[in-house]
Amino acid sequence: MSDVATPAASAPPPPAPAPAPPREAPGFFYAALRIFDLSLGEMLWSRRTVFMALVVGLPVVIALIVRTLSGLGATMGEANGIPLTGPIIFGLMIWMFYIRFIVPVLAVFYGTSLIADEVEDKTITYLFTRPIPRGAVLVGKYFAYVLATVFVVLPSVVLVWLLISPIGASLGSTFPDLATDLALIAAGLAVYGAVFAFFGALLKRPLLFGLIFVFAWENFVLFIPGNLKRFSVAFYLQGLVPHAMPSDSAVSLVQSMFRITPGLWESLFWMAAIEVVFLWLAARTVARREYVLEQ
Amino acid sequence: MSEPILAAEHLSKWYGQVIGLNDVTVSVPPGITGLLGPNGAGKSTFMKLITGQLKPSQGAVRVLGEPIWANPKLYFRIGFCPEQDAFYERMTGLDWVTALVRLNGYDGPAAKAAATRALEAVDLIDAAGKRIGAYSKGMRQRVKLAQALVHDPEVLILDEPLAGMDPIGRRKTIRMIREWARQGKSLLVSSHILHEIESMTSNILLINNGRILAEGNVHQIRALIDTHPHTVHIRAEDPRGLAREFLTRADVISLRFEPGAVVVETGQPDDFYARLTELVADGRTGGVAEVTSPDDNLQAVFKYLVKDHR
Repeated sequence: MSDVATPAASAPPPPAPAPAPPREAPGFFYAALRIFDLSLGEMLWSRRTVFMALVVGLPVVIALIVRTLSGLGATMGEANGIPLTGPIIFGLMIWMFYIRFIVPVLAVFYGTSLIADEVEDKTITYLFTRPIPRGAVLVGKYFAYVLATVFVVLPSVVLVWLLISPIGASLGSTFPDLATDLALIAAGLAVYGAVFAFFGALLKRPLLFGLIFVFAWENFVLFIPGNLKRFSVAFYLQGLVPHAMPSDSAVSLVQSMFRITPGLWESLFWMAAIEVVFLWLAARTVARREYVLEQ
Repeated sequence: MSEPILAAEHLSKWYGQVIGLNDVTVSVPPGITGLLGPNGAGKSTFMKLITGQLKPSQGAVRVLGEPIWANPKLYFRIGFCPEQDAFYERMTGLDWVTALVRLNGYDGPAAKAAATRALEAVDLIDAAGKRIGAYSKGMRQRVKLAQALVHDPEVLILDEPLAGMDPIGRRKTIRMIREWARQGKSLLVSSHILHEIESMTSNILLINNGRILAEGNVHQIRALIDTHPHTVHIRAEDPRGLAREFLTRADVISLRFEPGAVVVETGQPDDFYARLTELVADGRTGGVAEVTSPDDNLQAVFKYLVKDHR
């Protein structure tokens, strides 16, 4: 047998030629979708998500305590002669914990960091040296933020509802309110997120300004008579809240906020407008701004 | 004469009061060009300007005949390997390169195929399914190279691509860079180590204090650099074993130890690096984790050049 291999046996087959690479720029929304793919996992498994889980765990713990006390026979109290039932407590928790605290706080922490995190981690270079509009990077990350936060917050709301609503009422009768609340919270996360995405794209200290906006500006303008409150997100969120509140002194704070309440369609219109305008402004800012990475 | 791949005209960049780049006019021909300068010389600012990450404060920069700032289409033709060691640590090398090349318009299967080819090209295919967070420094450098070349660009801009690599990794990467040039790609490679640049190309740009001091053939400054000792910092399993090998050599001027490392001063860097690579390859003195070169020696040459040009 010959030691000499035949050419066919010794030569490896030539590698298949690589197909010609695309040279057509991906569209804005295609690029945003790819950034969304890339960012969602990173966002869900970030340290910030641990913080988010702790924040949304708090109302669940409170709901668990209330449910346990109710199970032990403790009365839930009254407001102007009306007993505080599960649906009323649930409505209060939605407004006080979720709408006025958790939603804006998560939005401010995530929204302001959409681009800032990539800049701080110095990974923005990989995204900004690809043939896509820079604004698509922000939009893709924004949608990843909305999905990541909704994914963590909504289960917490459902748990609170399961624990609280059966106190003095049936789950079935309160389900429509739950559905509305879930939509309301998702809308709140989306609108606040767009506002803070713009803060993050524009400002050097977006977190500070975001917290001032949430805890100072929004609280302040809601109590000022006149139209100044129209320059807040919380004002329009009020118009979507489905729960009736008792006029007890303990909740008069909440009631006073409802004194001038926009209608459903007005709220929806302005919230959509705020989201679109701020997202557009944020994308435009990212496209025009230089990001200098720390050496 | 062929068109330059890159042309800068009176290009300046300042950050507030700090000047990053000062009135640079230069054109880079096709082929491999080395951008050589000490840390803080303005290399990274120059790299960021020519890759469109920064906007010039003054002047203009054109890549392949087009302005680069706010011109994303040009990134079809450019691949950039940044200096910073920054990644999505939880992703695998394959997933990361695939995700990035999808931004070039590749669909899912084409992106995965291109990413696989790129990882093969940088000799990282065996670790393609491993998380980037678990990669060694050399592997991290190579996965950065893979994302730069995955879309088959005409121009590769590589910022300190050999930083921190072990000697064998360096040799392989230098070979890859030369091979890409042979395939018709143009490359601009920055480094603060003349020896590295010299092993890839003879065409260099010397940068210091935000200005291009000289451009042209590396051999013209070779004589100058040889008069200044070259310092090499080697992090190794057995620094003393390595030191014993170096002590027998005439080109080694001094040796000192640091925790887990030996720092060598040599008068003949070419010979020294060749010997170091041989030692690592035959494994007698254990593994070498990282080789770095502080740029004191290069700084000395720049000082000399600046004095000479006054």
